[in-house]
Amino acid sequence: MSLKDLNRSLWVFHVNSGSCNGCDIEIVATLTPRYDIERFGMKLVGTPRHADVLLVTGPVTRDMEKKLRRVFDQTPDPKVVMVIGNCGSTGGVFYESYNLVGPVDRIIPVDVYVAGCPPRPEAIIEGVVKVWAKLEKRGEKK
Amino acid sequence: MFEMAKELLKQLFRKPFTNRFPSKHVPKSTTKLLKNVKEGMAKVNRPVPIPEGFRGKIAYDKEKCIGCKLCIKVCPANCYDFLEKERKVKYHLSRCTFCAQCVDVCPVNALTSTKEFLLSDYKTH
Ligand code: SF4
Ligand code: SF4
Ligand code: SF4
Repeated sequence: MSLKDLNRSLWVFHVNSGSCNGCDIEIVATLTPRYDIERFGMKLVGTPRHADVLLVTGPVTRDMEKKLRRVFDQTPDPKVVMVIGNCGSTGGVFYESYNLVGPVDRIIPVDVYVAGCPPRPEAIIEGVVKVWAKLEKRGEKK
Repeated sequence: MFEMAKELLKQLFRKPFTNRFPSKHVPKSTTKLLKNVKEGMAKVNRPVPIPEGFRGKIAYDKEKCIGCKLCIKVCPANCYDFLEKERKVKYHLSRCTFCAQCVDVCPVNALTSTKEFLLSDYKTH
């Protein structure tokens, strides 16, 4: 999949798989006029069926595992998965929890990891840039 | 009515509050822009200034470290692996929660908080 296949603005669906809500707040902060990610044509949508990008926060609790899989399957191809925050990438502060089945890449394939706990909005934007670069590179190879 | 017109005119010439990091709009080719930035041909807008005392990525000075394992003991996120042979530690960025407790506890100041926060990547560390 490349940027050409998408050929439109990236729409984003946000899944909270058991995060502490820190990263979720930062995602919302990225949408505020101060950072305004909508100038890149990106916006949060209400259902995975409208989304091109999945933003996953949280370390995936036992309860959320099935739901995360389902949301991933519901997102139409081509799609990109971004993990926001360190607990989604490795478990972070929740690493020894009895209720943890993640991190996210054990459940679904992940394209970009945004490190931070929580990451600043600029870090999230940088992650988006990385997604873009990755898609463009794939397009060139074809 | 007059008040409103005044406000309108004022808003018309005011600079937008949005911080345009890294560029105003999506560039034609992101790869090209990134390459140009690396070579110093293009500039990106700076992020919003970070506050005093910001705790970013932890910098580790391997030379200074005496292998006392205090950072391993204090870290809430299990960021450090102990390297038995060298008696040093290894820091894992993707596990860190940036609480800087290890910075406070290290007896020889081998660990310091940097101001680095643009840390996204294609893999975990
Ligand atoms: S990465 Fe940190 S701030 Fe973000 S959801 Fe996990 S624990 Fe919360
Ligand atoms: S800042 Fe906190 S979480 Fe990160 S390595 Fe130090 S003690 Fe561990
Ligand atoms: S606390 Fe400092 S000196 Fe001790 S093991 Fe950690 S980094 Fe090395």
